[in-house]
Amino acid sequence: MKQQLPLIFNIHRMAMDDGPGLRSTVFLKGCPLACDWCHNPEAMRPEAEVAFFPKLCIGCGACREACPDGAIDLQGTERLIRARCTGCGRCAEACPATALRRVGTHYPVADLVDLLLRDKIFHQVSGGGVTFSGGEPTLHLNYLEAALTALSRKGIPTAIQTCGHFSPEAFAARILPLVDLVFFDLKIRDSEEHARFTGCDNRLILDTFRRLNREAREKIIPRIPLVPGRTATRDNLRALATFLKEQGHTRCDLLSYNPGSIEKHRAIGMMPPSDLPETLMNREEEEGLRDFFIRELAGEEVSRPEKFFPAGRETRGNFKPRQGGEPCRSISIMR
Amino acid sequence: MVTLTDLGLANHTLDTMPLLASLRQACFSARAEVCIERARHVTAYLRDLADDNEPMEVRYAQAVAHYLTNKTPLFFDNNPLAGTTTSKRFGAPVYPELTGMTIWPELDTMSTREKNPQRLSRQEAEELNLGILPYWLKRNILERTRTEFGNPPGMRLFEKIVFFIASKAGAISHTVPCYQIALETGLNSIIAEAESHADALRQKGNLSAEERNQLAFYRAMPIALRGLIAYAQSLSRKAAELSALESNPARKANLAAMAEVCARVPAQPARSFREALNAIWLLQIGIHAENINMAISPGRLDQILYPYYQQDIAAGTLTEGEALELLGCFWLKLNDNTNLVPETGEELFGGAGTVPAVTLGGIDQQGEDAVNDLTYLMLRATELLKTRDPSVNARYHYEKNSSAYLARVAEVIANTKAVPALYNDLAAIRTLESQGVTTAHARDYAIIGCVELSASGRSYDASSSIMLNLVSALELALYNGKRPVTGDEQIGPQTGTPDSFAGFNDFWQAFTTQLGWLIGQAIELNEQMGRMHQKYLPSPLLSALFEGPMKKGRDLVFGGALYNSSGATHIGFADTVDSLNGIEQAVFTDKKYSLPAIMKALENNFEGEAQLHAWLVNRTPKFGSDHPVARKNSKNLVEFLFDTYQDHVNYRGGRYRPAYWTMTNHAGQGKLCGALPNGRKAHRVFASGITPVSHAALNLAACLNAVAGIDSRHIPGGVAFNLKYPTLRTEEEREKFSQAIEAYFRTGGLHIQFNIMGYEMLLDAKAHPDDYPELLVRVSGYSAYFKDLNEAMQDEIITRTAYELDAGNAVPFPQSARAMLPTETAPSAPRRPTLLPPKKPQTRNPLLDPLMGRFQTCLENGVADTFLETLLRLMSLALLFDHDFRRNIEGFSGRYLFLSKDGGVTAGALFENSHLEVLSGAVANPDITILFKDGRALMDYLLTPKPDILGSMLRQEVSLNGNLNYLYKFAYMARRLQLMATGQT
Repeated sequence: MKQQLPLIFNIHRMAMDDGPGLRSTVFLKGCPLACDWCHNPEAMRPEAEVAFFPKLCIGCGACREACPDGAIDLQGTERLIRARCTGCGRCAEACPATALRRVGTHYPVADLVDLLLRDKIFHQVSGGGVTFSGGEPTLHLNYLEAALTALSRKGIPTAIQTCGHFSPEAFAARILPLVDLVFFDLKIRDSEEHARFTGCDNRLILDTFRRLNREAREKIIPRIPLVPGRTATRDNLRALATFLKEQGHTRCDLLSYNPGSIEKHRAIGMMPPSDLPETLMNREEEEGLRDFFIRELAGEEVSRPEKFFPAGRETRGNFKPRQGGEPCRSISIMR
Repeated sequence: MVTLTDLGLANHTLDTMPLLASLRQACFSARAEVCIERARHVTAYLRDLADDNEPMEVRYAQAVAHYLTNKTPLFFDNNPLAGTTTSKRFGAPVYPELTGMTIWPELDTMSTREKNPQRLSRQEAEELNLGILPYWLKRNILERTRTEFGNPPGMRLFEKIVFFIASKAGAISHTVPCYQIALETGLNSIIAEAESHADALRQKGNLSAEERNQLAFYRAMPIALRGLIAYAQSLSRKAAELSALESNPARKANLAAMAEVCARVPAQPARSFREALNAIWLLQIGIHAENINMAISPGRLDQILYPYYQQDIAAGTLTEGEALELLGCFWLKLNDNTNLVPETGEELFGGAGTVPAVTLGGIDQQGEDAVNDLTYLMLRATELLKTRDPSVNARYHYEKNSSAYLARVAEVIANTKAVPALYNDLAAIRTLESQGVTTAHARDYAIIGCVELSASGRSYDASSSIMLNLVSALELALYNGKRPVTGDEQIGPQTGTPDSFAGFNDFWQAFTTQLGWLIGQAIELNEQMGRMHQKYLPSPLLSALFEGPMKKGRDLVFGGALYNSSGATHIGFADTVDSLNGIEQAVFTDKKYSLPAIMKALENNFEGEAQLHAWLVNRTPKFGSDHPVARKNSKNLVEFLFDTYQDHVNYRGGRYRPAYWTMTNHAGQGKLCGALPNGRKAHRVFASGITPVSHAALNLAACLNAVAGIDSRHIPGGVAFNLKYPTLRTEEEREKFSQAIEAYFRTGGLHIQFNIMGYEMLLDAKAHPDDYPELLVRVSGYSAYFKDLNEAMQDEIITRTAYELDAGNAVPFPQSARAMLPTETAPSAPRRPTLLPPKKPQTRNPLLDPLMGRFQTCLENGVADTFLETLLRLMSLALLFDHDFRRNIEGFSGRYLFLSKDGGVTAGALFENSHLEVLSGAVANPDITILFKDGRALMDYLLTPKPDILGSMLRQEVSLNGNLNYLYKFAYMARRLQLMATGQT
């Protein structure tokens, strides 16, 4: 059974950035793209792997005793001999300092939903819900469908974050009706450039965007990650704005560059690209890009949660974000 | 009702209220001074004037009234509210019946000590030393209890400090009185009612014992209240006098207004907002005349004052701005006194105010939204002033109160970075109901002091009766009834050696056996002390301001209130739970390490056991996570304590209520405790209140769920749950912040409070205290200025987990400051404190010179083999030849026995007929026995100006048996000689 379950490598609880309200975000492992700036590089590969955080290591050697494949090198700065490592995770189980960590756990749908429901009250009071992210959640369509169905039965609003590199038919039929919001990442308009930095051209992504847009434009929230030297150029932003206008979108979310991925790249034995800055973007530069993009789009940025839901539109769940001054009515308490 | 258009009252600032700004400035620059006025009058009355045939109830009321009648009417500034708690601008009053005796050794040095000095003039020190404190040698509550109950075993345990603190030696206080009756009817009518009861009893004649007590009570109450009225009258006269002399028109008018207000209240009903507010302040002062200044909490001021506010606003005689200014002035008045704190107290409790708690918002007795304009005015006063007192508490009822109210509370927290604390009305009311309080009374609850719940004005809760160290029970179970800090002494029952536990249940049994035994000891001592309060320290004045005593004819200390309870709070909850989890998981479930192996590591403070240590820290379940073992053990511990305490009925007929708030005790007690099975290293702080161990609960949602998952009905005494966020700047962040609070409450959480500050800022505040003179932090129940806290407490607040709101995860602690974490080895303290720097010798009598020389040599070189002998011989000579010094023992008789632990030295000191006789052998029936390790230890103990009391306890250098006041007196005389020897007199 476990082979059919996807690996989940993280669950954020009470997250603020992945949709309206307080949210639980489930990160699934495996992605069809390989963006070189990926800020969850441990999510790229679908199979289990082990991460190593050298700052935490106390050098006790418990990992070497536990490893059945001789894949531990206590002298090596990376600790793991990746070629020999099968990702079984016994070293991580033995590590007292959590310096070695297995990336990815299997959760049967029922267990996952139980875990997410623990935070139901956080979702209820804030108009939040559950977001599936990754990696690329649509790689695991059956699992995603089952989880979304179960959550929808419990009245939990849901969202997904996707790179858009999937065939739209099955998605439109099985997933789209179940989710309230689709955060759709657009990265680079030029197809060759896209292929250069993400490993794939963008034809399928743009086609999927057009198709979903016809089906349910109100659910789609486009997002663009700002990555210096990749997506965050005026040419690219202008081109993406043009595409979005064609598609009838005047709202888009721009995500600030996150340099935190560099340590994570190293932890799983990957080399981060040498030209990616290790610091946040210069504030003025970022503001300039944002202003530029908004002008090009002749629209607005999605930055405030209420903007996820334009006036008059309700979430599928029973909960609305509370308005100031209005007393909160009783909601049954989960025990 | 809310009529304000701007709930934030942004138009009113300190710039628009210059009076408030200047009073605030004065408040922050005031330095504490010891006030002996009350001690002087109360002592003089009881010693010289009281009729010993009168019942104590009457005598004590007379003593309090004597003080109030003679209390100097003082006007230090332009505050429009008349009356001062003490005779100093910022006073630390001496209550010799309770804690006052502990400052005896420090009378000459407390003015100049390094941390939080409290000034005392030479003359007043002399008055305390010779005039006031000697009367109380055998009469304060601690020594009354010792005498009455034959130095009971619970007392010996208490005096070791590291098991529990029997707080009744220091106070009952901790209460929310009922001010409405006094405001609405005036004290005159309360007096009349009591007198009519007294008359009825007198007419009846042939009284039973119970009726005689009632008569005494009905006689006493008017006496005490008349004292308070007399004080108001003298304020009124003085204000009128000053007004007549004053040329500044504003000040003249203010004084005239005060003269008028004090001529009327509190004797007669209040007619205006200003009269009501000043009446409350005078009642506070009156209560302080009788009860020590600890957590006398005004309660729901937004409800109590609202009728007066509404009426004045409607009549056009008051504006919202004037009301705000008056409230601000009241807030500052509440800061006019502080606790008298000896050096040891600084280490254990440093930085606290007197914690008068004000409670805002929530619902009314009918169950409807009680938030009104005054709620917002009081929030604004709190936001603008940012003073440590009053301790402001906001009630929130998520079905009845508006989200605008919660949003405003969140904004005030963001702006003050610390206050108010928040309470879940539904949980609090349900909890009080489960304690037998009626629904209407439960809905009218208010907070006492730190976080304790009280049916205000109706329940006498003695909420700080016991502070019990849970970790001490855990150590007793680990070490088979002993503790590392108390050495080889068998303290608790023998419950098994570490290798004898076959399963976790066996260990749990051992632990709960120790804990149950310890609780039994603490409760027995509390009962004994309670009886002494009944016998010697009744509260007729406070009883007049409560529902129940008038009807029952019974003082509060005899159970006169409508409801009664005693509170027992617990130190080290999360560390204990995590240690239990560690043992269960690592030893019995995973069988990763044996308990003896863990014990060996604990004894070595994990030295050479990095792997085991890391495993316990990182791989065993923690309170504050979802882990089922952690949830089970926390639940079982809470329920065990609840069941154990609730089985006990106190001397007033109420039940014991367990609580989890720690003030600063988790830092002090932590310093005295060895390494623990949760990976906390020796001498490190414990986690505060019911808060998870720092950096053990990494997920905010899980942490909130775990704390909220504890049924509030099992924690009826109240809890302090401390949470920290690095910032709360944007409206969006504040909205999420409010939502998280709401979710926590809906899950069942009772209390939550915040520090909005990141690690870096706090580290900077520790390094550069002068840059943060007013930084206010929430400790574990009260607020304090960060700079006033001792280092351990500062570190505890710095290392508390901060959570980032955007992802709900713990912010990692900066690597550069890791050494501060409780899981890292504590830096070794300097082994020896320094003695006073020697100055030029300057003896006044040549006959003393040779011995003085030897004494100086002792002090200068730290050579202490002959310290005791030298000290006693010098003292005896000085008593012969130094007239001033001899005054110390005029009329004093005391028997002292000194024993060295190795048995090498035995000496006695007999004071009799103004003479000291030094014996080289044992003394029969000593008042106190002083057992010391060596001369140096004794010298440090008696003479170091900044004694390392905790260090001395850890090294087990000195232990005492007997009347501690005799030691305090002796220590004072020894220090006096030291000052003479070093020419500092």
